[in-house]
Amino acid sequence: MQLLQCNNLSKTYPNGTQALHDVNFTVEEGEFLVIIGLSGSGKSTLLRCINQLHPVSSGELYFEQQQLTAMAGKDLRRQRSRIGMIFQQFNLIPRKTVLTNVLAGALAVTPVWKSLLGLYSEAQKQQALDYLKIVGLEHKAYVRADNLSGGQQQRVAIARALMQNPKILLADEPVASLDPSTSHSVMKYLQKINQELGVTVICNLHFLSLVRTYASRVIALKGGRIVYQGAPGDIDEQWFKTIYGEDAVEVSIN
Amino acid sequence: MEKLMTEQPFEQARVHGYKASIKAWFIDVILWSYTALIGYKLGYQTWYLQSRHPDFYWHEPLYALGIGVVLASVLSYSTCSVGKAISGLILFPEDRSIFRSASVRLAVFFIALTFIAGLHVSQVSMREFFSDSGLAGAQRIFSALLTPNFAIFEDALFAAIETVYMAFIATSLAIPVAFVLAFFAARNLMKQSALSFAIYCVIRFMMNLTRSIEPLVWAIIFSVWVGIGPFSGMLALFLHSVASLTKLYSEQIESISDGPVEAMTATGAHPIQVIWYGVVPQIVLPYLSYTIYRWDINVRMATVIGLVGGGGIGTLLMQYQGLARWNEVGMLVIVIAAIVWLMDYASAKIRAHLK
Ligand SMILES: Nc1ncnc2c1ncn2[C@@H]1O[C@H](COP(=O)(O)OP(=O)(O)O)[C@@H](O)[C@H]1O
Ligand SMILES: [Mg+2]
Repeated sequence: MQLLQCNNLSKTYPNGTQALHDVNFTVEEGEFLVIIGLSGSGKSTLLRCINQLHPVSSGELYFEQQQLTAMAGKDLRRQRSRIGMIFQQFNLIPRKTVLTNVLAGALAVTPVWKSLLGLYSEAQKQQALDYLKIVGLEHKAYVRADNLSGGQQQRVAIARALMQNPKILLADEPVASLDPSTSHSVMKYLQKINQELGVTVICNLHFLSLVRTYASRVIALKGGRIVYQGAPGDIDEQWFKTIYGEDAVEVSIN
Repeated sequence: MEKLMTEQPFEQARVHGYKASIKAWFIDVILWSYTALIGYKLGYQTWYLQSRHPDFYWHEPLYALGIGVVLASVLSYSTCSVGKAISGLILFPEDRSIFRSASVRLAVFFIALTFIAGLHVSQVSMREFFSDSGLAGAQRIFSALLTPNFAIFEDALFAAIETVYMAFIATSLAIPVAFVLAFFAARNLMKQSALSFAIYCVIRFMMNLTRSIEPLVWAIIFSVWVGIGPFSGMLALFLHSVASLTKLYSEQIESISDGPVEAMTATGAHPIQVIWYGVVPQIVLPYLSYTIYRWDINVRMATVIGLVGGGGIGTLLMQYQGLARWNEVGMLVIVIAAIVWLMDYASAKIRAHLK
């Protein structure tokens, strides 16, 4: 089933930079879609347009057949809560425990006054602990999040996103700040929630070797335009040079 | 003449356009008018004519301005111009001391002139400082201060406690007000829409205005409003604390990392939840640190405010000083020094632990 549809999406920042030109694509339920492209090609912008962290300049964006670009306020927040997001810098709340960080994923369904007092239901706490178990961090629930290693922080971020009970998970270069072996471990957790929990994943990546291992489909951006859509295995030497430039050399991480 | 050539206004002067030249000319006019006026009032009237209190007429500065215009215009053709140096119209060669250029020497002359005029205006007089009656006075007050009257120790202590409490209440009441205002005074949160940016500008302006008026002046205003006493002092400190804390808090908010804010927004959280979970955890420690520091400052200020009737130990000090009871004043000075030292020490210790 079709989950997300982008029609003629363009994005110009207030300072005049046009980061996206007329982007069209659809995402089917259950896909592991990877977006590749050079730094500055518009990958982060595209993800932030999908959950409306940045408003789009023109074009349409349908999530579960609903037009997202026309939404604001409460409606927009409800839709956003169905779209999880993780970041290159993890973006956990400093000085708070891992459990509090995971529970923050339930803010959209918690009344404001309760969340100000930190009053979450027992069921929510249990759910948070369950998601921590999925990412293998149940024993760290009461540790301060900023005391964890990078890979562990990213797994907490995944658990926080799962707490939203999302249909889609957006991942903006989730392993770019991690070393190779930790990168694979985090990617494996993303693969697990994609395959076992059926969460659709849209992930920005830098390394083609990771793309070949984890992606079910690839979109390549260059200068804010889609230059390639297809299976990861079909990216040959020629395509590689189109996407990354003539001088690029492929490196792999194991 | 050969030397001056290197100081020729450099080629870019024309590129800079006339704006820089006009700015340089204005600066020169002001400096030369100032020199002419000081030279006339101080050099001619005070020292040459020996008149102790020369009258002032409004035509004098006007004549000085005329002289300034003439001098600045004439000298604008040379490199002997501080205005040009400030406006970047003079090239200073790397290989020569800058004190050999005419414009820098001129600047030194202006500073020296101001220094001499300053000595005159502040009535600096070595003769009075070391005169017999002067030294006798110094001996009298120092010996009295060094033999404090311990009979008023209790009064002094209670007055000091009043001062510390006054500062504490002023700080405590200021915290919640500044906490809320700070969000509206933080550029990164308020630049989203034109309306919120307008609110930001208004709050910033009001806070800057409040802060630029000394607590002492606020205390005078409030002592007329609510009467002399600790309450007027407290109100003065409160108002000033709100303004200062709002500035410090909002600067802290402006320096937070956007990451957690973005992450909370992405979960679909309400804006209030975004602030509570994305902003507040990043600012609590610096906030606490500033707030304790503020209380420390308020205790010192409360003492000074007491001098104009703001209550506490400052008011006591003013009363004994008015009666020339120097032994009692000595006691009060000791208590004040002890309190200030204690607050300073405690606040530094607590803030070090908050790091
Ligand atoms: N907030 C912003 N304001 C203005 N320009 C931006 C902003 N964010 C990104 N850009 C610009 O948009 C383009 C795409 O950036 P980005 O989406 O971050 O690319 P990527 O994630 O692929 O590195 C770049 O040219 C970048 O400089
Ligand atoms: Mg990016």
